[in-house]
Amino acid sequence: MGSKNTSIIQVKNLTKTYPGGTEAVRGITFSVKDGEFYGFLGPNGAGKTTTINMLVNLVKKTSGSVIIDGLKLEDNLDEIYKRVGFAMQEVGLDEVATAREMMQLHGRLYHMSKTDIDTQVAKLLKLVELEKVADKFTSTYSGGMRRRFDLALSLIHKPKILFLDEPTQGLDPHARQLIWAHLRQLNKEGMTIFLTTHFMDEAQELCDRIEIMDKGKIVTEGSPEELMKKHNAKNMEEVFLKTTGSNLGNEEVNANAPDPFTRSRQRG
Amino acid sequence: MDTFFSDWYYLSIRNIKLIWRPLMALLPPFFMPIFFFAVNSLSLSALAKVPGFPDVSYKDFIAPVAMFTAIFFSAGNAGIELVQDIQSGYFKKLIIMPINRLAIVLAKLTEVAVQALGQGLVMLILLLLWGVHFKTGFLGILTIFAILVIFAMAWSCISMIFALRTQNARLVQSMFILVFPLLYLTTSQAPKSLLPHTFGVITSYNPVTYIIEGIRTLTINGWGGPDVGYAFLAAGGMFVVFVIITMLSFRKALK
Repeated sequence: MGSKNTSIIQVKNLTKTYPGGTEAVRGITFSVKDGEFYGFLGPNGAGKTTTINMLVNLVKKTSGSVIIDGLKLEDNLDEIYKRVGFAMQEVGLDEVATAREMMQLHGRLYHMSKTDIDTQVAKLLKLVELEKVADKFTSTYSGGMRRRFDLALSLIHKPKILFLDEPTQGLDPHARQLIWAHLRQLNKEGMTIFLTTHFMDEAQELCDRIEIMDKGKIVTEGSPEELMKKHNAKNMEEVFLKTTGSNLGNEEVNANAPDPFTRSRQRG
Repeated sequence: MDTFFSDWYYLSIRNIKLIWRPLMALLPPFFMPIFFFAVNSLSLSALAKVPGFPDVSYKDFIAPVAMFTAIFFSAGNAGIELVQDIQSGYFKKLIIMPINRLAIVLAKLTEVAVQALGQGLVMLILLLLWGVHFKTGFLGILTIFAILVIFAMAWSCISMIFALRTQNARLVQSMFILVFPLLYLTTSQAPKSLLPHTFGVITSYNPVTYIIEGIRTLTINGWGGPDVGYAFLAAGGMFVVFVIITMLSFRKALK
């Protein structure tokens, strides 16, 4: 169980400037407490995905410092990777492997014992309700099943911190509710969750604390209740609309930034 | 170090499964070499009677080309699989695990080596059934396999370099066209002494020529002469150079 008094993620003056001069992230500072459900919101092109990718070194930061669970990011990557799980925007599954095979492989790559792996695989497949299809190729899964499996996969090594980049994107309301229930359960068990999302209801429903980012900067921060009060809003959507502008222009600029592995458009 | 070997092992197992998943993917690499071998050995068999041609059947003469081609056509798949992993986001998952990056590349090469051995074995059986005779026997066949596996890994590195540099499946797939000049600007169809002078000069600059000549020597001549050594030098040289470039491309992609 985490202690909500200590910071498990500390970010100071973090910046990312892509070659060509696009400033995706402009000197942001924030911290996430141990065991907290932390929401990181913002319109398209705000810099959310760049930030979350920098927190796991998938995108190299230009400047600033990142400390994860007391460890400086650039000096302790392998140790940090043992402590974090990451369910990314693109659900990168091995299409010609079964869910069980993938989980077993990942357990091995995290250097877990066979007993530990077997226990975790059974527990997680049950958690995401995929036991019956565990031995089918992941290419046969629906979008919701893929998301749920990706979540389970990111938990195989029992991480202390879970990074989620828009985990319910493209899911129907039933599938979203199911993912929310899993996330609530994980957080209740003490896991720190760092969530980026476009869905204000999702953030309001799940997060203890929320930061809203716009054009590479943090524009407001607090619990959902505090933010609604502070911005005189009825819900988080209203807070969002009041604190952020249209980011279409910014999105266009960020879209030119190279993603190191997919060369896909930068999102978030 | 312990974890390095275990990472390599488990990633290799994962990659090796890609060879037969889907099962149908096993067939295409055999089609072209069998087709060319059958057509050439039947239609060009008279070439063996031309003065200056070695004292063997044309079938035995081009058998090494069939084995080589089976491996040549499939070794490039490593790059395509890598692009698929990159584009699906699976590669990112590997990158944010506490695993040795070198193990990722070595596991790919292990897959290629296993595939080359498997395909080489199938081609060997087909050629033996067709009546091809290997003069150096079992040891010679083992040596042929060693040369082929080293070359397959080198060629797969080229496809992985393409994959890491372009991250585009179509571009990596288009690398296929390189197979034809590399295969036909050699002594694959006729001995160098029967080729026009200019063509002969071109073949001497193509490393694939030395690999085919080495395998051919083991098939029809025996152990004597430097050809086997040259084949190892050509395949080994390509392997060392392209593994280094692959690792550099990998590091660049990570940056």
